[in-house]
Amino acid sequence: MPNWAETIAEELKKKEISLIVFVPDISIDRVTSLLESDPYFHVVAATREEEAIGIASGAFAVGRNAAVFMQSSGFGNSVNAICSLAIPCRFPIPIFINLRGEVGEFNIAQVPMGRATRPILDVLNIPFYTLDTDHNLDKTVGGALKLCYSSREPVALCMTPLLHGGKLA
Amino acid sequence: MLRLDATKMILSQLKDEVVISNLGPTTDELWIAGHRDRNFYTYGSMGLCSSMALGMALSTNEKIISLDGDGSLLMNMGALATIARENPKNLVVIVWDNEEWCQTGHQKTHTAFSTDLEKVASGCGIEKTATVRDIESLEGVLIRALAEDGPWFINAKIDEGEEYPVMPIEPEVTLWRFRRTFTDIPTGHLTAAPEARP
Repeated sequence: MPNWAETIAEELKKKEISLIVFVPDISIDRVTSLLESDPYFHVVAATREEEAIGIASGAFAVGRNAAVFMQSSGFGNSVNAICSLAIPCRFPIPIFINLRGEVGEFNIAQVPMGRATRPILDVLNIPFYTLDTDHNLDKTVGGALKLCYSSREPVALCMTPLLHGGKLA
Repeated sequence: MLRLDATKMILSQLKDEVVISNLGPTTDELWIAGHRDRNFYTYGSMGLCSSMALGMALSTNEKIISLDGDGSLLMNMGALATIARENPKNLVVIVWDNEEWCQTGHQKTHTAFSTDLEKVASGCGIEKTATVRDIESLEGVLIRALAEDGPWFINAKIDEGEEYPVMPIEPEVTLWRFRRTFTDIPTGHLTAAPEARP
């Protein structure tokens, strides 16, 4: 039985997503470290999340599928990049977001942006799926990725501590 | 040196290389200098031109030329650090440095004072850098940059000329047309799972 990180990696491969751009986050380090250790993927560390959207868009423009991983605080940093680049040009970019401010959050400063993430996605008309259980994870991730490429628009996958166990205690 | 003259010179040196242009006058003047299917015009997203160019350079072996701007690059200087870290040999970043935010009312940018973008690039770890102030110098560095491995960072000090009409192509048409020069699968819905292909 693959763990959640292995399931995500496998679904990325099925959609030939081989470029990964991320800004680190301890709670989802398990999946980004797994991707870095797998030669199928080229993993780029960006200095800021809007930069990650730019790099992923550039890759798609020349024919390579790319996904980004970030924390909800970084989603706040990347909103204009998504609105002014990914949406008008119709770049299909899967955006994996670790939601702060969820169950187990210890830092008050992380709560507002974490809580605002899904409402912002909603007003931007970006489909989002919350990943908080291993149950049907492959179908949810694989289906969301398929939707991303068929709609030619960004799709968000929001990960919570109930999925990855980070900072629950 | 005027940006339009310099852009025309660059196009005269190119074959099928990619040119991606920063929003505003850089994009409008690339369109006027000469439309090519390998021109990628941007419409917003200040600061992301060279980040997009990096994503391209990491995903194809062909040469990628980013036409960035000082105001935009100042908004995303981390892009230079990521370019240095990834070290793509096929990337050439040219910054049109007019020392002002032209479109917002000609306010002076930081490069009009103490900021030297070539030193920033060099400090990030990009080894091949230059600052040029006339077309002949730019042409000389560009010829080297097209022939030698990079990444290259070229800061081109320019003067503002007249304003030109806005480039008229729709964003999604730009992506579709550009991407088609790299793959026979120009839109996303046909790039899905390998097993779905005929």
